[in-house]
Amino acid sequence: MELVLTTHFGNERYRFAETYEQLGGYGALRKALSMPKEEIVAEVRKANLRGRGGAGFPAGVKWGFLPKDLSRPRILVINADEGEPGTFKDRLIMTRGPHLLIEGIAITCYALEAHTCYVYIRGEFVREAEIVQEAIDEATAKGYLGKGILGTGFDLEVTVHLGAGAYICGEETSLINSLEGKRGWPRVKPPFPASVGAFGLPTIVNNVETIADIPWIVTHGGEKFASLGVEKDGGTRLICVSGPVKKPGVYELPVGTSLRSIIYEHAGGLRDGKALKAVIPGGSSTPVLRADEIDVGFDIESMQKIGTMAGSGGVIVIPEGTCMVRALSVLMNFYAHESCGQCTPCREGCGWLAKVLHRIENGQGRNGDVELILEVCDNMLGRTICPLADAAVMPAQSFIWKFREEFDGHLREKKCPYGNRF
Amino acid sequence: MPNFTLNGISVDVPEGTTVLQAAKTVGIEIPHYCYHPNLSIAGNCRMCLVEVEKFPKLQIACNTVVTEGMVVKSDTEKVRQAVTGVLELMLINHPVDCPICDQAGECGLQIYYMKYGLHKSRFAFEDKVHKKKVQDIGGQIVLDAERCILCSRCIRFLQEVTGTSELEFFRRGDHSEISIFPGRPLDNQYTGNLADICPVGALTSKDFRFKCRVWFLRGTRSICPGCANGCNVEAHFKEDIVYRLKPRRNDDVNRTWMCDPGRLEYKKANEARLLTPVVRENGGLKAEAWEAALSFAAFRLWETVEAHGAASVAVIASPAFSNEELYLARKLAEEVLRTPNVGFSPRSSGNGLSDDFLIKADKNPNTRGAQLLGISEEKFDDIVRKIEGGEVKALLVFGNELADFPGERTAELLSRVPFVAQVGTNEGAVSLAAHAVLPSASFVERGGTFTNHAGRVQRFWMGFPPRGNARGGIEILVGLANRLGAGWTFAGEASVFRAIARSEAPFAGMSYESLGELGQIAGGKG
Amino acid sequence: MSLAFSEDTRARHERMLARYPNREAAILPTLHLAQREFGHLSAEAIAYVASLLGFTPARVEGVATFYTMYNRKPVGKYHLQVCRNLSCSLMGAEHLIEHVAGRLGVRPGETTADGKFTLSTVECLGSCGTAPVMQVNDDYYEDLSEDKVDAILDGLR
Repeated sequence: MELVLTTHFGNERYRFAETYEQLGGYGALRKALSMPKEEIVAEVRKANLRGRGGAGFPAGVKWGFLPKDLSRPRILVINADEGEPGTFKDRLIMTRGPHLLIEGIAITCYALEAHTCYVYIRGEFVREAEIVQEAIDEATAKGYLGKGILGTGFDLEVTVHLGAGAYICGEETSLINSLEGKRGWPRVKPPFPASVGAFGLPTIVNNVETIADIPWIVTHGGEKFASLGVEKDGGTRLICVSGPVKKPGVYELPVGTSLRSIIYEHAGGLRDGKALKAVIPGGSSTPVLRADEIDVGFDIESMQKIGTMAGSGGVIVIPEGTCMVRALSVLMNFYAHESCGQCTPCREGCGWLAKVLHRIENGQGRNGDVELILEVCDNMLGRTICPLADAAVMPAQSFIWKFREEFDGHLREKKCPYGNRF
Repeated sequence: MPNFTLNGISVDVPEGTTVLQAAKTVGIEIPHYCYHPNLSIAGNCRMCLVEVEKFPKLQIACNTVVTEGMVVKSDTEKVRQAVTGVLELMLINHPVDCPICDQAGECGLQIYYMKYGLHKSRFAFEDKVHKKKVQDIGGQIVLDAERCILCSRCIRFLQEVTGTSELEFFRRGDHSEISIFPGRPLDNQYTGNLADICPVGALTSKDFRFKCRVWFLRGTRSICPGCANGCNVEAHFKEDIVYRLKPRRNDDVNRTWMCDPGRLEYKKANEARLLTPVVRENGGLKAEAWEAALSFAAFRLWETVEAHGAASVAVIASPAFSNEELYLARKLAEEVLRTPNVGFSPRSSGNGLSDDFLIKADKNPNTRGAQLLGISEEKFDDIVRKIEGGEVKALLVFGNELADFPGERTAELLSRVPFVAQVGTNEGAVSLAAHAVLPSASFVERGGTFTNHAGRVQRFWMGFPPRGNARGGIEILVGLANRLGAGWTFAGEASVFRAIARSEAPFAGMSYESLGELGQIAGGKG
Repeated sequence: MSLAFSEDTRARHERMLARYPNREAAILPTLHLAQREFGHLSAEAIAYVASLLGFTPARVEGVATFYTMYNRKPVGKYHLQVCRNLSCSLMGAEHLIEHVAGRLGVRPGETTADGKFTLSTVECLGSCGTAPVMQVNDDYYEDLSEDKVDAILDGLR
């Protein structure tokens, strides 16, 4: 099986420039610097590389939104604010293969004619940020970054910027505000970041994994990358599996690999002979699947067809014996905690949902509470500046739609049948 | 000029107009809290959701720029449900303490609840998030964080208008609240605007708090008399007591703002008013009927002219009076008394406060008007010298003070004049010395025009008839002039303004109709 | 104002400022520096950062209270932050939190009397494959069990 990213992740020294170079690293950058810029962008378009941060927007298309004129400097921002519950792949790239990211940054900046790049890393990732910074320093010393990279006239400055604890900053305009020293409030659009982004300049925000794919695409060509995946969704992707499986972790798999094989083959199936109850496939914000819905390819369109999303590749495995009301309550606490507070429906709605779920779970639910949740969801969905409200609504609705009996059971029995425990 | 369709109506709008602005121009209300015409777009309240053809999701009207051929609907069931839903969410953590809220009656939540809400409360009271109430945050403002709907208007105002940024959002999610940093209260001259732009009862005016329920108030369009800027205001009153001034939008003068000192100018209409004509004779004061007081004053002026010649009489006009009153005062001096001694008393320094925004050092509303009507400030100094030299035997003074003289100086000067008649609104150094006090109407009790520092002639309207026994300045002047044989037929400020427009070059071609609500720049030299 | 950065921090701060096009962008990194230097972000520390960068303290406080990693109150020498999100909960985080709370004799949000430990529950730390997870100051501790946590706490004594 062809791997794009993780081939050498087992090698402890791969995170150092010397080893990375010995294993072929920075060859793609050399190649890219000899290519016309448009050709690099064209290869990325051909690759059908979809953003790996969650929204799945085609990377090449996004780059095309930059204004044509070069009168204003352009900025590349790397979204390393990995925070979607169930997702932990960008952390792996940053710790095991930081030079993949840096090489990707250098190629992308060269192709987009951006001379400034900020790597926005979530604040908790102190050690990860240190590793990335160390790699940047190495790369700068070796001439891959900084003034006139590899003897060309191309300058590139890369700065690591640490977040400070806010899930919302994974949303690209919130991230930009945070980078600018503001509260992480998403921006009203238009204008879009490609025209008015960080510091008022044209800005492209890409996820770590997305950019780390770029060197491979340059080396092997867009078509080859596309062929690894499915139609309109190329390459491999890093699938994160968490929950009580035998081998939790990150698996690099061709886009389109079946969810069943991800859980049962790659992750080894559930522990202690437990049966599968449900799966959240793409991070906590994506609609939950029942155990009988996992014969689906892990790609954006197949997931969409069955009413869920590939998201950021965060597969959370929920075993039989788990209280789905409690599970949803935990998730709603998260969204209520992380709502930035800007838009009324999300600010008030997330907290309301969390409170109603809390009382249902504790046996104090009232008749009509389930309908109430669904109605509040209707009043939140699609009504806000950014998708955080939607991200809270999608699990809430899908948990109720697919596991309604558990919610009704809590109301009927006035207690949690699972004993208020996981 | 893009053309679009709103609720089936075809509308042409200038390039760059938003759906919300366009709707206003055709009288369609799109509910909103965070949008404010003179602040940046926040887009966070989510009340102005509308259906836009080709967009699957509802869009916010405040940030949707009209494009050619766009089809927008704000009157569908989908929109109504969305607005009701947002309103319900807005109220779940709101204390709903309307009986003890000063905003009651002009609260955006109350208004929209009646129009778009009327839902039952489905949120348990015990679950509400509680925040700090009744905080004095400085300036003219009290903050109740629980009532705040976090629309960010106040924060944007302090960032974009005053640049002082004293208020910020603290925390996040449903624990977000606006606050000052401890020990750093509001520190600017425009804090009162925060109460105006707050759509709910979170920021209320310390001065107005619990003085009167707003539904008892009536309003009139007016001009702030506090300085030469001429901020357009609305004066709110109950019976003959004024309770507050609120800015009225005029983007060429004050946008939608006014300063804190100006906001308190209304007090002069209530306090220490001269409300009945008084005559001082043989050392004693006596309240008189108007006829008697006017006749007395007219007689003494006539007598003085007869005895000492016209040059022994002087008229000190005031730039706190309207163009109409100043015009008649000049006319009285020049054509009836035939004295060369007419000047205006400048109150140029005031409290000295000025800035590069709305606050002017000239604390008179109509200095420019007096100048354009040919009444000179230099003449005032000349008259003062003549008083000191004992040449002035009779004096007609407009206003409550002489320039910015201390009270003792005014008393000393006026004691040298055998007869002083005053036309004024408030007790002060002049009324203490005058032999005839002719009480005149406050700015809310009469109509007229002021000319601001930039030469903009702006109307103000009568809210209620003069308090007590006071009278409008025009009526007083006509009464005096006609007792001196002038035969004037002016009736009301409009007729005087017509005369001004006919005879005074800077005002040529103007009329009350052409001035409208927002005024016009006077012609002539700068 | 009595609070001030040390010489070293000042120098780091100057170098950091050079990375950004304006001083506003330096607010988050400066707060990080201040928290390291002063232990937590007191009102005085906020006012210091504000004056250092030329903003109102309210502006800086607004930022500081938006992000959960800025501690406006003092925390212990070791700040134990246990993830309570779904993947960790499925792997026993609730039990783990109770265990740590019991051992230290504090509830989440509290600091031990000796000022050594503060226990907090946090949302997803982004390490779900090695759940349950706890962050102690800058370091992650993963694949936790009660025994493992006991050993970690013993090591921190």
